[in-house]
Amino acid sequence: MGYEFMYGAYSVAWVVIFAYVLIIGKRHTKLKKEIEFLKQLEK
Amino acid sequence: MSMNLERGKAVLSGAQLTDTKKPNLSKILFGAAVITMLVSLYFIFIFAAEEKTMGAAQKIFYFHVSSAWLAFMAFFVTFVFSILFLIKRKRIFDTYAYVSAEIGVVFTIIVLTTGPIWAKSAWNTWWVWEPRLITTLILFFIYIAYIMIRQMDGVWDKKARLASVFGIIGFADVPIVFFAIRWWQTKFHPIVFGEGPSQKGGGIEDTMLVALLVTITAFTILYSYLLHKGVSFEKMKIMVERYKEKLREDLEN
Amino acid sequence: MNLFRTALFLAKKDLYSELKTKQILTTQIIFAGLVIVVFSFAFDPANNTTKAVIPGVIWVIIVFAGILGLNRSFISEQRNDTMQGLLVAPMESASIYLGKFLANFTMMLIVELVSIPFLFLLFDFKFLGSLPYFILVVFLGSFGFIAIGTFLAALAANSKSSEMLLPLLLFPITTPILIGVVQATRIILTNMEKLASAIAWIQLVTAYDVIFFVVCFLLIDYVLEV
Repeated sequence: MGYEFMYGAYSVAWVVIFAYVLIIGKRHTKLKKEIEFLKQLEK
Repeated sequence: MSMNLERGKAVLSGAQLTDTKKPNLSKILFGAAVITMLVSLYFIFIFAAEEKTMGAAQKIFYFHVSSAWLAFMAFFVTFVFSILFLIKRKRIFDTYAYVSAEIGVVFTIIVLTTGPIWAKSAWNTWWVWEPRLITTLILFFIYIAYIMIRQMDGVWDKKARLASVFGIIGFADVPIVFFAIRWWQTKFHPIVFGEGPSQKGGGIEDTMLVALLVTITAFTILYSYLLHKGVSFEKMKIMVERYKEKLREDLEN
Repeated sequence: MNLFRTALFLAKKDLYSELKTKQILTTQIIFAGLVIVVFSFAFDPANNTTKAVIPGVIWVIIVFAGILGLNRSFISEQRNDTMQGLLVAPMESASIYLGKFLANFTMMLIVELVSIPFLFLLFDFKFLGSLPYFILVVFLGSFGFIAIGTFLAALAANSKSSEMLLPLLLFPITTPILIGVVQATRIILTNMEKLASAIAWIQLVTAYDVIFFVVCFLLIDYVLEV
């Protein structure tokens, strides 16, 4: 009873958490690329 | 020119240094967050007894309440660091306030999505105009506005100042909002659903309480991981920005 | 007392310049009229149930017309490059806030004085409740709304898109006031027997007014920093 709601809620929660972690990761890679670029520029 | 470059290099290596040194704590926190999350899932789905009337849908409760707890804690941290920033004027306080508000908004989204799903299963309606729900919704809007202040153009200390002021006002507003809405509801509609979504309905069973506490602990650790990660990222970003500024000056000279 | 004198001085300056251009007041009043017209499409004035939405409509008018004025109050200073002048003038930032608040509040009251009778007239609303209480509620509600609104307008004025930012900041923060005054207005206009609960709402709104006026006074120093 009520399993579909439970699965729905938990999948939504996990999707939000993973999306946030993914966004953080994306920001990191963007920044790392920038650092790489700056290093190249220095050479 | 070469001297300037060397100075710039020092800044960049500083940025690299934080990149290599920090992951230790970050990794420990990440591992702890993953392990406690898995443990909490075990407690929720296997250890805790199933509620008789609501069935499996009741298990939403653990994540819902823990997210709400995390969001409120995050906003409280924002409030505290806003005050600290206005007193001490150190950039690190502002970074903490910002990252914490962002995490709070993310977890408010979880609260606002899992809440209606539970409401649908328990009361057969997606949304109830109930004090806690409306307060959470307004809290969400307040902190969206907070983040929008952060997206403003201008120098950082102006943005930080204004955002801190808004963080204080916004947090001070929350109890009044809750009180006003609760009053509004009780005056004009009888409360049908008891205490609302987090009602414990005549005492909570021991296994459920244990599962809830474990989940809350897991979320707190997750919060500290996200906060740490976000702050170290912001620090790195500030360093890169400074370095770019230096490069620009060099080019102009 | 110097605080109040400079504040009055500033308010006078704002009102004089408004008297000369009549830009904001005219816009606000015309806008209020337009909102009333739009509401007459949305809720049939001939219908009896429309009476139930009148208290809400009053506050929708006040809020939207108020936002127009609030947007202008600090932007106009920036357009004319007088903001720096105000900041370096020998007065506290609290008195800038107080002066702006007084000017905005006066204009708001004028708009209400024109638009609310107009609304009652167009919707053929028979006034049954007590007028003093109604005036008290409107006064307290506008006071709180303009007090926090002036503060947030000063905050939002730093942004380039402050016209868009201000409503986003202002609406969530003023929810308690809006709930309180709409409920109180509804009771006073339609159901005078429940006056006790209307007074309870008035007390809530008054408490909100006092708290936020004090908080704004304390924090305005940080907003209006050079």
